[in-house]
Amino acid sequence: MSTLVVENLAVRYGGVSAVRSVSFTVPPGESVGLIGANGAGKTSTLRALMGLVPRAAGTARFGDRDLGKVPARHMVRLGIGYVPEGRHVFAGLPVEKNLLLGAYASKWDSSCRARLSEVYDLFPVLGQMRGRLAGALSGGQQQMLAIGRALMARPVLLLLDEPSMGLSPKLVEVICSALQRLRAEGLSLLLVEQNAMLTFEVTGECLVLENGSVAMTGTSAALRDDPRVRKIYLGL
Amino acid sequence: MNRLFAARRPLGLAALAIVAWVLPYRLNVYWISVADTALLFALLAVGLGLVMGIAGQVNLAQVAFFGVGAYGVGILTTAHGFGFWLAALLAMVAAVCAGLVVGLPALRVQSHYLGIVTLGLAVAFLDWVTNAPVTGGDSGLSGIPTPPLFGVGLSSQYLYYYLELIVLAAGLAFGYFVVRTSLGRRLRAMRDDALAAGAAGAEIRVLRMIAFVLASVYGGAAGVLYAGLIHYIAPETFSIADMFLLLAMVIIGGRQSLWGCVVGAIGLTVAQQELINLAAYAQLGYGMLVVAVVVFAPTGLAGVPSRVRRWRLRRRSGISAAALGSFSGVPSSGRTGAVLEVSGLVMRFRGVIALDRVSLRAEPGEILGIVGPNGSGKTTLFNVISGLYRPSGGRVDLDGRVISGSRPWRISHHGVARTFQHLRLFGNLTVLDNVRMAMDRTRSWWSWRYVFWPVGVWRHERELSRQAGAVLDAFGLAAFAGALPHSLPYGIQRRVEIARAMASAPRLLLLDEPAAGLNGDEQRQLAEIVRAIRASGVTVVLIEHNMGLVMSLCDRVVVLDSGAVIASGVPASVAAQPAVLEAYLGTTTLPSEAS
Amino acid sequence: MQSFFQTLVSGLSFGAVYSLIALGFSLVYRTMGLVNFAHGAVLMTGAYLASTFYLSARLPFAVAVPAAVLATGVVGLLIERVLRPLESKDVDLMLIGTIGAGTVLEAVAILIWTSSGRGVPSPVRAAPLDVGGVRIPVYNLVVIAVAAVTMVLLTLFLQRTKRGAAMQAVAMDPEAATAVGIHVGRSNAVAFAIGAGLAALAGSLASPMLFVSPTMGDSLGIQGFAAAILGGFGSIPGAIVGGLGIGVIGSFAAQWFQGYSDLVTFVVFTVLVMVRPTGVFGEKTVNRA
Repeated sequence: MSTLVVENLAVRYGGVSAVRSVSFTVPPGESVGLIGANGAGKTSTLRALMGLVPRAAGTARFGDRDLGKVPARHMVRLGIGYVPEGRHVFAGLPVEKNLLLGAYASKWDSSCRARLSEVYDLFPVLGQMRGRLAGALSGGQQQMLAIGRALMARPVLLLLDEPSMGLSPKLVEVICSALQRLRAEGLSLLLVEQNAMLTFEVTGECLVLENGSVAMTGTSAALRDDPRVRKIYLGL
Repeated sequence: MNRLFAARRPLGLAALAIVAWVLPYRLNVYWISVADTALLFALLAVGLGLVMGIAGQVNLAQVAFFGVGAYGVGILTTAHGFGFWLAALLAMVAAVCAGLVVGLPALRVQSHYLGIVTLGLAVAFLDWVTNAPVTGGDSGLSGIPTPPLFGVGLSSQYLYYYLELIVLAAGLAFGYFVVRTSLGRRLRAMRDDALAAGAAGAEIRVLRMIAFVLASVYGGAAGVLYAGLIHYIAPETFSIADMFLLLAMVIIGGRQSLWGCVVGAIGLTVAQQELINLAAYAQLGYGMLVVAVVVFAPTGLAGVPSRVRRWRLRRRSGISAAALGSFSGVPSSGRTGAVLEVSGLVMRFRGVIALDRVSLRAEPGEILGIVGPNGSGKTTLFNVISGLYRPSGGRVDLDGRVISGSRPWRISHHGVARTFQHLRLFGNLTVLDNVRMAMDRTRSWWSWRYVFWPVGVWRHERELSRQAGAVLDAFGLAAFAGALPHSLPYGIQRRVEIARAMASAPRLLLLDEPAAGLNGDEQRQLAEIVRAIRASGVTVVLIEHNMGLVMSLCDRVVVLDSGAVIASGVPASVAAQPAVLEAYLGTTTLPSEAS
Repeated sequence: MQSFFQTLVSGLSFGAVYSLIALGFSLVYRTMGLVNFAHGAVLMTGAYLASTFYLSARLPFAVAVPAAVLATGVVGLLIERVLRPLESKDVDLMLIGTIGAGTVLEAVAILIWTSSGRGVPSPVRAAPLDVGGVRIPVYNLVVIAVAAVTMVLLTLFLQRTKRGAAMQAVAMDPEAATAVGIHVGRSNAVAFAIGAGLAALAGSLASPMLFVSPTMGDSLGIQGFAAAILGGFGSIPGAIVGGLGIGVIGSFAAQWFQGYSDLVTFVVFTVLVMVRPTGVFGEKTVNRA
């Protein structure tokens, strides 16, 4: 099991600073949340970790590997799963093919089949829809599919980008309990969310980002009762 | 005619004119015929440059316009006994008609689709001339007369050179006149960003047709001259291979520069003549050159000097943000703000509801903030108001007049201006031209003046420049007038976009996340600018996720969630509503109240 | 009626060839977003290679064609490598870049094989079949059969194999594909090579029905491209329907309008594209104003 250590990460797009010096650690089996309003730099942080956007400064290590030297397509082999913002399922492929592609880096053998049924166990609705095209699923089902796809590679650390975006409260609860279950199974989570309440439910520790910098950190339980979080969100 | 160009390089231009004028004295009979061909290709290339490089419309039928001009003259003179110049005039009319036909698909499709359709039409034309009895089929038409000029027959290739030279010079001058004034600015803006150009008042469809007509005029003129020069025309002159050669000339020379097109045409014609016995090697050479140019120098030879200049500038210091002046108030436009009334607006995309019966109202002299979580429909609302989307239901009124469902340019002319969440400045237009483009409130049919009243164009241009200068001064951007947007720091680009929106003297200003990516100081300046715009009487609606800015700047706030309005009112009261907290923070309410 | 069927048969055989060309266009477009105007020249290269293997190296036709397909696939890899910097950039630049690549291939063909062209005798010597008065050359049936088998194989490859699924995934969402560990660049290169191979197959199959020359790809390429767009760019059933459609339209146009078949075909095509820019099976939205 490896620890994710991020130090002084910064991201710039052209001349714009999206993230300025963000540091945090995700120990094995732990669950960390990055929360904040739109445009606070949460998604950029995650994408920089994945190597999908260049880092302007800072380092990210996973165990003894420097993530700066790992191309995005090899992250999955290190045990890092990624659930992108806006779900990004392969819309023209059936649900099951989407899931199998999640296990692209390994053989499509019996252990892969076993994993498939574990995912169907976590999200039974995906099992019922396995032959349906992913693009025909509802937003919530697509979100489950995106999570399931990332789980197919048996990651040790799961990066999730706004899994609650655009979902109804009921579906948010479904996602929330799935994440809690994964956490209980020992998976490390790094959860980027605007929905602070969901994040507090699922994570042990949180960072509140504001304008690309860390505004607050603390345990999720403490932050839940901290009125300053609300101020940061609403600009009061 | 072209003062801007001439004023900068009068000596170079004069020298060039002298060289072109005395050149025939140094050429033997063989090379003068090469020169005559080169000038024709140059004329064709300028036309292709205008439609592809300036207006951004892929046109692989330029060679067909050439053919229409040539065959028009050929058929009318040989079969119907018309005089050369009358035939030439009618052939030009035919070429323009061909331009309109080929341009028609551009109203529906763009880029590669347009490429294949125009190429298909070129093949169709070729098929017609190869088969029709009237065109002489495979064997072509011969016996086309020499054009007489003031009683002098231009049978000498030397004299013909001067005819071509004068036509090319006139064509270039007119081309530059168009490119550097109102019409060309709109064409270039459309090329860089058709969506933003439409929102700034450009009639995209009309402009596309104008671009094809321009190309067809140059192509037709080249065809007419070709018929008079060679006296014989056959289908193989208008083949697809020649189309690609012409394309190579324009790409290698630099499609966005008319001079580049001329240089490319002359260079490639001469090179081809030099390698006439090694034609396959010549083809290999220009094919590889096209690939190399496209990969390494997309702006072609003509773009090399400015690339070098930019590279050197960047190595030194680049443009310093320190040159940014302070904002000194909104220039008065004499227009008053408008009442925006959105009622029951519904927007569906393939069954997904992006806006769900949204109603809101904004008054002159107020700043209305639109906030809400990601994907709540804020930008969709702006896109409907500014005409990019046609709503599925409901309506938008401006001062009691329905504007929803109109095209973007029309809404712009009603007095609505906007900025975009992700900057959409015209990348290859200078800051000054970005502002002048939006300031230009003429309609497209105004462009008849280019042909019949050029002085009017000049006067309009002078007035635009004066007013645009005032806008740049007011926004503290005067130092960057000649810079391209991408060379500027991000914060300044944001300000340029607001200046561009205000240049159209709007009555309603829509700002989509104007503070995104700005630092604290820039945000303060932004707030100052937006307040000044409100003070000038303009109605301002802004989307923003920087809640601090929204709270301090907006008079009223509307909160969207999942496409529906969940709260509205003064900022402080809205922030206290449980529904808003829920939308922002999540489904459970916070246990403790704010202190 | 007899002549109607005669024309139909000839239209369908050419249609099968167009379908293969359109399939190559579509595959490359679907996976890379690249509109390959060099496709016609690649096809011509394949036709020359096959005819050289067949006529000069005296290989059996059934061996010469696969060999040419493989060799042309390698040529495709080469082109992809050169044009790679343009992928996911300006569409117009890509279009022009591929036109340049096509020009180069044509020039190379002239240098190797001269510009005079060559005829390829039909590898099937059997007399045409007579079905109710309609004479069907056996070779045409071979062409239709080979095209049909190829399309089935390609569909199976895309739907049943891991590599095929990955290729589709890259087409739908390159970033998500990267996140699950797919090498997007390699997948694109393979797609381009397969597209080139399909063009070579079309070219070598067409060579006994036409005449092999350095410019044969111009017209075939444009027809195949039109077929791809007509069916809906990027769709496999669309490529088949579009190809057969263009083949039949062209064949009847040649019957009814004599030499004006290209004219009629492209005018009809232009009107169709204007009426329905997304083609018959197309879903992708076209640039809006």
